[in-house]
Amino acid sequence: MIYLDHAAATPVSERVFEAMKSYFSVDFFNPSAAYLPAKKVAADYENAKAMIGHAIGAKANDIVITAGATEANNLALNVTTSPILFLVTEHDSVRKVAEQYGGEAIAVDKNGRILLEDLKSKITDETMLISVSLVNNELGVIQPLSEIAAIIRDIRFDRLKRGIKTPLYLHSDASQAMNLLDVNVARLGVDLMTLNAAKVYGPKGVGALYVAHGVKLQPLTRGGGQENGLRSGTENVPGVVGFATAIAEAKEHINGNRKKYAAWRKILLSELHDYELINKKHALDNFVVLCYNGIDAERLVFLLEEKGIYVSTGAACAASKGVRSHVLVAIGLSDEEIAGSLRLTMGETNTEEQIREAAKTINEVVAKERARVTG
Amino acid sequence: MKTTDKIFFLSHSGRGRKVFVGMSGGVDSSVSALLLKEQGYNVVGVYMKNWSRDLPGMKCPWTEDLADAKRVAVKLGIDFEVWDFEKEYHDKVVEYMLEEFRRGNTPNPDVMCNQEIKFKLFYEKAMKRGADYIATGHYARVGAETDFSSDGLEFSSTSYTGTPAEPSLRDEPVGSVRNIRVENPNQTLILQKNRFQSHLLMRAVDENKDQTYFLYRISEEALEHTLFPIGGMLKPEVKKLAEEKGLHNAYKKESMGVCFVGEVGMKDFLKEYIDIKPGEIREIESEKILGYHEGAVFYTIGQRHGLYLDGVKGEVNDGLPYYVVAKGIPNNIVYVSKNLNDEHIWTDELELKDVVIRGSTSRENYFSGLTSQPSTSYTGTRAEPSLRDEPVRSVRNIRLGLPNLKQSQKSNFSRPVNISVRLRHRAPLIPAKFDGTKLYFENKIKRPASGQSAVLYDGEICLGGGIIA
Repeated sequence: MIYLDHAAATPVSERVFEAMKSYFSVDFFNPSAAYLPAKKVAADYENAKAMIGHAIGAKANDIVITAGATEANNLALNVTTSPILFLVTEHDSVRKVAEQYGGEAIAVDKNGRILLEDLKSKITDETMLISVSLVNNELGVIQPLSEIAAIIRDIRFDRLKRGIKTPLYLHSDASQAMNLLDVNVARLGVDLMTLNAAKVYGPKGVGALYVAHGVKLQPLTRGGGQENGLRSGTENVPGVVGFATAIAEAKEHINGNRKKYAAWRKILLSELHDYELINKKHALDNFVVLCYNGIDAERLVFLLEEKGIYVSTGAACAASKGVRSHVLVAIGLSDEEIAGSLRLTMGETNTEEQIREAAKTINEVVAKERARVTG
Repeated sequence: MKTTDKIFFLSHSGRGRKVFVGMSGGVDSSVSALLLKEQGYNVVGVYMKNWSRDLPGMKCPWTEDLADAKRVAVKLGIDFEVWDFEKEYHDKVVEYMLEEFRRGNTPNPDVMCNQEIKFKLFYEKAMKRGADYIATGHYARVGAETDFSSDGLEFSSTSYTGTPAEPSLRDEPVGSVRNIRVENPNQTLILQKNRFQSHLLMRAVDENKDQTYFLYRISEEALEHTLFPIGGMLKPEVKKLAEEKGLHNAYKKESMGVCFVGEVGMKDFLKEYIDIKPGEIREIESEKILGYHEGAVFYTIGQRHGLYLDGVKGEVNDGLPYYVVAKGIPNNIVYVSKNLNDEHIWTDELELKDVVIRGSTSRENYFSGLTSQPSTSYTGTRAEPSLRDEPVRSVRNIRLGLPNLKQSQKSNFSRPVNISVRLRHRAPLIPAKFDGTKLYFENKIKRPASGQSAVLYDGEICLGGGIIA
């Protein structure tokens, strides 16, 4: 098996799996219980949250644990019912929520980067929230968050000067970023940030929302008041311990990963034939998005599957809905280019040998399919 | 197995012929595509997108089905397309269905889907695209009917294989003569092309899976251009073949009933479109109010569940269930009874509307041939009463072909003929007499819900059918 879909899911790393184990059946206590063993579990949980916070330059208390990134995005956007500005290429867990309240999409250029002028023109005095992912999940494109934050700072200053009390927040979904980017909330200038354990070799169904001081959120889930009242429900101790371990591990590997994926990306781009590179600029090195003109990439997915190579077209989510990827539409690709687009996302399961092998097989499969199409 | 000496199952070589096969992602249509490919056809797989809407509590599985279909197409190395009939399906099938329910009937959307979508729009689009045939994964067969008796030829076997080299039968103008080779294990015969006079819709070999109940209204024209590649196979054989050929959906759970209704059931589906309208449940004998319901249109005659009965203790809860025996749509009353012999439940006759009798002139030949030449007449293999017992002189009076569903059909035979009838998919065939609009049963039957189909057979042959009034 050669797995080239790490943007869709990552396997739980051994270290993470080990760290989680005892919390399923030995240290299983409810952290809210009164007795000492439960208090120890509560302390471990808080420590894990501190580790997650530490990875992004925040405190445990700034972190709200959720059941995954989708829930974290939903919670973040629940900060306001006024129209939300969101990047047109955002994941559905932002887009669908924003659209519900009449949100407006901010355009991107052909590389998938935010058009800052478009953003500026769309901010009104009613705007309370802008949501721009740090790394796009289909293209791997990195957004210039600190530049956006600078614009927001100016607007805040201007609002205060004019006596307008409406706050303006920046939310960013950083789910895809943590393996290669050194993320720091202060440096990025975000007020709300989504993290996802499932993309950093941690367990699925665990996410987190960083909430800066002073940002007043409304809970979506009410009950026992856990997570500062923002996300009730008994704490997922093994999940959060796993998440903390995973994010710490990712942090340790960032420098090595960058070199490794840059080299592998080069190998892919030089050994593959007859493609057009879609994510040319500002992309994470483990994302390679290609277009094979005149070929239906979905067929390639199934043909490669037979050879034990697992890839996706666009984002797994968009393809499985049977609709054209809104991200690829947004960067101006034609229908045919979208149909021919293949997303390869490299990760920890890969070796250099595998990358070369994959390139060879993809070339063969594409050539065969091209021959079939042209008859 | 002895069967008619007049019916052939043509199996052409696919070489040089183009077929569009409807692929749903299930094992039946997947194996159909596989067989066509192996027979040398130029095969194009098509996923018909008829419904994609998720309803509360009902996730529409269309994307998974589409992916399953496409994966098979890729594996077979055939072209694959998605044809969007969503609007047409809504207008022609869903609207029809809702309208029928509003009138208090229990329609069968699958029958309508085959008539209006699969064997009409899909067929027409395929022909426009240069198809020789369409194909589906239905369990049914297309027989070609001819009359050999005048040639003095004798046959004993049914498994004829059509000629490899011949173009399809319709390519020739009617009346032109062309030789057709028909082979069977014992002999090869040269037949004249114009001996094949019509195509018959015939029951599948797999008695459990036969789907002619849903196909009886499809047009003659479409049927002539239709292949049912698995109609001669048993379901276990289909599954086994899928396994052997490594088709991943060999183990896929079979979809049951109307796809978009899914697991949730028709009543919940209907509630998305038809407002709840509380009304009374009355005992039919006493007119006593026993409880209340959510709208008479949601109930079906014979239904036992979902009745909110709270009548006098001991009277209602004496262990005997109440059945719905009648519905008053204008006054929104559901009538129930505990009497299993209630006259509303049992009947010895059924009136049909929108009757379709399959076949055109050949059908008449078929009927009259049976009357005039009993020795060559069709003998049902399943001990069904045969038509030859009855003279069918007036068959010309019946409207032939496919009427539009909205038109009603009032012609009668001068004398009822013996046929067998299926009142539900997979229900047993019941002997009955049919006079063109009414079915007469020797023994009383449980009355099916109005709006359902009664499908008529002579042995293996589907003669047509109608909607129960």
